[in-house]
Amino acid sequence: MIRIKAPKPDLIGNIKLHIDALLTGVKEAVLPSTMTIHYPRERRKLPDNFRGYILFVPENCISCFQCSFVCPANAITMKKADNERNYPTIDYAKCIFCHFCVDTCPGNALQPTKIHDVAYKDMEEMLTQTEEMVKSPEIQREDTITVEYVIEDVDLLFRRIAEKDELVVKTPPHEKVREISSCIEPESCLACAICVGVCPNEAISIESSDVEKVIKIDSNNCTGCGLCVKECPVQILRLTRVSEDESEGE
Amino acid sequence: MMSENVEEMLLEVPVQPPTDLFLPVSKKFLEEAYRNDEYVVLVGPQHPGSGHMRIILRIRGDIIVEAIPDPGYVHRSMEKLAENRLYIQNIPLFERPAIMDTGNMTLGYVRAIESALDIEVPERAKYIRTIIAELGRIGTHLYDAGILAIFLGHTTGFMWPFAIRELIVEALTRISGTRITASFLVPGGIRRDVPWETLEFVRKTTFAVERRLKGFEKIFIRNPSVMARLQDVGVLTKEEAIKFGLVGPFLRASGVEYDVRKVEPYEAYDMLDWEVPVADEGDSYSRFLVRVEEIAQSISMVRQAINALKNIPEGNVISEDVLGEYRDVASSDIRGYFYKVFGSIVPPAGEFTTLTEASRGSLLYTVVSDGESNVPYRVRIITPGWYYLKGFMESLRGERVADLQAIYGSFGYFPPEADR
Amino acid sequence: MVSDAMILSKEYFMGNMVNIPLIQPIVDYLLNVPFVGYIVAILLWKPMFALLFIPGLTALMIVLLFIIWFERKLTARIQWRVGPLEVSRPIGGIIQPMADGLRYFFQEVIVHRDSHRPYFLQFPILIFIPVLLPILFIPAGSIIAINTPYALPVIVAIVSLIPVFIIAIGWASNSRFAYIGSVREAFMYFAYEIPFIFAVLAMILVYGTADTTLIVERQTIPGIILNPVAALVFFIAMAMATSRLPFEIPEADQEIAFGPFVEYSGILFGLVMTIAYEKMYILSLLMTILFLGGGNGPAILLLGDLSGAIWLFIKTLVVMMVLAFLRSIYARLRLDQALRFGWTTMIEISLVALVIGVIINILGWYA
Repeated sequence: MIRIKAPKPDLIGNIKLHIDALLTGVKEAVLPSTMTIHYPRERRKLPDNFRGYILFVPENCISCFQCSFVCPANAITMKKADNERNYPTIDYAKCIFCHFCVDTCPGNALQPTKIHDVAYKDMEEMLTQTEEMVKSPEIQREDTITVEYVIEDVDLLFRRIAEKDELVVKTPPHEKVREISSCIEPESCLACAICVGVCPNEAISIESSDVEKVIKIDSNNCTGCGLCVKECPVQILRLTRVSEDESEGE
Repeated sequence: MMSENVEEMLLEVPVQPPTDLFLPVSKKFLEEAYRNDEYVVLVGPQHPGSGHMRIILRIRGDIIVEAIPDPGYVHRSMEKLAENRLYIQNIPLFERPAIMDTGNMTLGYVRAIESALDIEVPERAKYIRTIIAELGRIGTHLYDAGILAIFLGHTTGFMWPFAIRELIVEALTRISGTRITASFLVPGGIRRDVPWETLEFVRKTTFAVERRLKGFEKIFIRNPSVMARLQDVGVLTKEEAIKFGLVGPFLRASGVEYDVRKVEPYEAYDMLDWEVPVADEGDSYSRFLVRVEEIAQSISMVRQAINALKNIPEGNVISEDVLGEYRDVASSDIRGYFYKVFGSIVPPAGEFTTLTEASRGSLLYTVVSDGESNVPYRVRIITPGWYYLKGFMESLRGERVADLQAIYGSFGYFPPEADR
Repeated sequence: MVSDAMILSKEYFMGNMVNIPLIQPIVDYLLNVPFVGYIVAILLWKPMFALLFIPGLTALMIVLLFIIWFERKLTARIQWRVGPLEVSRPIGGIIQPMADGLRYFFQEVIVHRDSHRPYFLQFPILIFIPVLLPILFIPAGSIIAINTPYALPVIVAIVSLIPVFIIAIGWASNSRFAYIGSVREAFMYFAYEIPFIFAVLAMILVYGTADTTLIVERQTIPGIILNPVAALVFFIAMAMATSRLPFEIPEADQEIAFGPFVEYSGILFGLVMTIAYEKMYILSLLMTILFLGGGNGPAILLLGDLSGAIWLFIKTLVVMMVLAFLRSIYARLRLDQALRFGWTTMIEISLVALVIGVIINILGWYA
C-alpha cells in the first residue's frame, strides 16, 4: 500500500511551482511536440489487423449463414443470388466493425481491409449489396504522406513516409477443417425433406420407404455449412469432422 | 413511392413556447426553496459543464444547500437488450458503457460465463488480458484527468492527457485492431494471439507515456491554481465514504484500503508485484492524486506482464475447455471457428456473479441462466458510476457553486457508464 | 463668422500635422489639390490621426485580428496541436478572425422574450464608449488627441465604468446564469479596483505628473525597472480586469455557461466577445505608457512621427502576447479565492509599490 500525501507548499514552494509551470509552457511554445496529423493530406499508418471495411469473396462462401447469426448488431442479411445460393449483405448503418463475422466465416470469404473512411450520400446506400462488397469502395485519397507512430528514445516520433498506404491487405487464410453432416438417428427421420430443400449444394437426399429411410449425404458436395443441422425438426443431423480421405457417409 | 394524388395539409406549428413546461422537481420543492430564500438552479444536460445529466441545485448565496441528481439521459437499457442476444453477442454490448475501459468491462462478463462453464483460461491469455485491462485503466484515468482540467478551465490540461491517451489507443489498435472498443476478450481467453513485436511496442509506449506525463505533472498536477481549486474541496471522511457506498479510487482517497484486485485476485494480478495507493484527506485533490499514482502502478504492471510473457510460448490463448473438438486448429486464433465454438454456449442453470475492479470502481456482473436457452435469462450489471453517485451528491453539500465542476471532475462521473 | 471659418481652415489643420518623411512628397502634392487636400489635411491632423490610425481605430482593428489569431496559435502550439490553418493555409491562417467575424453576421440574433429589450440590444454597443474613449489620451510618440495634465485620472475613471455596463448586460438578460455572472463581475470589480488605482497612483508619484506625454518623456529608465512591484500589481490587476485566466471568473464557460453573455447570439455575440480584447488593448496601452516607455525607442528615420507610434504599437503587442500566453498555463480560480487574493496579497504589494513611489518622488530623480 502506498500512502499519498498531498503537498501543501509554503510561499517559496508556491512561487517555485508557478515558475515551473510557466517554464514548461515556454518550453512547449519554443520547441513544440506537435501531435497533429494533417488528415486528409497525411494519413496515419494503421496496423495490418485493423478492423475496417469488409470485402467478400463469393467463391469461398458456402452459404452457411453463420456470419448473419453471429453479428451482434444484426447488420448482415442474407440475400438470394441468381445461382440459388445466399450471400451476405452488410448494412453499414448498423455495423459496429467488431469483425465477429470475419472471425466466423469458415471459408475465409469475408476479408478485412484497412479502409475506414467511406462516406455515403444517404441511408439507403449504406445497405451494401453483395455485388458491391466484392471490390473496394470508391474513396478519394488526397493523402501523399503516411505517418507512422514510432517510439524511439522514450519519446514518440512521427515517421513520415512519402507514399500511400496500401489499404487492402492480404491476410493468410486460416487452417480449415473438413466437416460433413451426418445423421445420427435415421430411425427418427420424418422424411419431411426440409434438409433436402435447404441444402445449397444438393448434397443430401432421402430415400424413404415404409420399412426404412436412407439419408444419403454426398461427402464430395457437402461443404459443412450446417444449415440442415439447424433446420431438421427432430435434430438428428450433426456435423462431424472428417479427414481428407473419407468416402461418402451414410 | 409516392402516389399520384397527394394531399397537402397545413399544419399549425405553434411559435409560442408551451407554458406548461416539464419541471423535474415538484412544486413543493420550489415553494420551499423560495420560502427559505434559496435559489434553484438546474445545471442541465445542456450545459458546458454537466455531462449528460441534470443536477438540481439549491443554492443559498454561493453555497450549495442540496444537490439532487437527475440521471438517466443516456439509459440504453443494456440489461434488457442482453436478454435477446446470444451470450457471445453481449460482449460488444457490455463494452459500450465506459469508453476507454474495454478490458475491465468485458472482463467481468466473460469471467461470469467462465465461472458458469468452469473454463480454465491459459496463462498467456491471462497475462494479455491483464495488459489490456491495465491499458484501459491508464486510458480512462487520462481521460478523466482531461475532463477535470477542462472543468477547471485549464485547456492545456485537457489537450495533453488526450494526446497521451493517443499512445495508449495506438497500443490497443496494434493489439486488437480497433482503437477503443476492442471486443477482444472471449470466454476462455482472447480472440487471437499477440505477436512479440506488438508487445515490444506496448512496452516502449509505457516509457513514452511516462515521459510525457512528467511535463503534464508540472503544468497541471502541481500547478498552484489547480491545487488551490482542488484542495479541501468536497471532503468525504472515511466514515462518510463507507456510509455512502463509494467505490474504487474515490474510496481509497478517503483512507479505506480496498481494491478488488487485492481482495479477490483474478487474471494475473496475484502474480504481479504492485501496490494499492491510498490517501487520507478525502478531498478532490487526493482523489485526483490517487488516480495519478494508479497510472504509475498500471504502467509497472504492464511492463511486468510483458516481461513474464517472454517465457510463455506463443500459441495457446484460448482454453481447450471451450474449444472442444477444435482445439487443434483454433487455440491461437479463433478465426474461422468463432460461431462454431461460441455461438451455442449454454451455461448451466444458476446465478453467476463476478466483481471486477474497473477504472472507476467495482463492477458487478450477475448472469442468470435457465440452463436451456442460448440467450441469458437475465444479466445484471452495476457500474461504478451508479455506486458512487450518492456519495458525489453528498459531497456537494456546503460547497460553493464553482466547486460543483471541480468535484464533478475529481469524481470522474461518467453518465453513459452510470446509466448503462 | 470670420473666426469660425479660420478654425476649420486647412491652414489650421496643417499647423499640427503628422510628419512622415516617407510619404511627404505625395502629401505635399495632394495638399495642393483643392478638395482632396482638405481631406488629407484633416486626416493628417494629429488628433484625427490618433483617433483614426494610431493608436485609434485602425491600430485597434489590426491588434484585434492579430491577437485573436496569435492567442489561438500560441495556445495550440503549447497544447501539441496546430491551431487555425485552413482558412488561408499559405499564410498560416491569419485571416481566421475575419472569417469568424463574418460568420457572426450570418447568424440569427435572438432576443428572448423575458429580456429587457432596449438594454439587451443597446448595451453591447454602448459599452464601446468607455472602452474606446481612453485611447484619446494615450500618446503615440508625439501624436496625441487630447493633451491634458489630468490624463491618467480621466483614463482610470473611464475604465472603471466598464464593469457597470457588463453588470447591466447580465441584468438585462434576465436569466439565472447571467445573474450569477453579473454578481461575479461585481465582486471581481471590487477585487481589482483598489490595487489598480494604487499602482497607477504609485507611478504618478514616481514621475511627479499625471500628464501622459510628460510621463513618456521622463522615462529615461523604463518604469518597470523603477518600480517593478507596481508593474507586477498592474499586470495582475489587468488580468483580473479583462477576465483572463486565471481570473476568468465572470465568464466561466463550464460553470455558468458564459455568465452575463449567455443569451447573446449572432453579431451581438461577436461584439461582446471583442469587448474583453479591446479592454485588454486599452489597459496594455496604459501599461506601456506607464512602465515600458511609451513611444520611446530608436527613431526610424523614414517614418518621422510614426516611429514613436510604431514603437508603442509593438510594445503593446508584446504585453498582450504575454497575457495571451498565460491562458494556457493556468486554471481558473474560484471567486472567493480571487477576492481573498485581491484584498490581501495585492493590497499589501500595492502598498509596498506606493511606498517605493513615495521614496522615489522624495529623491526627485527626474530633476
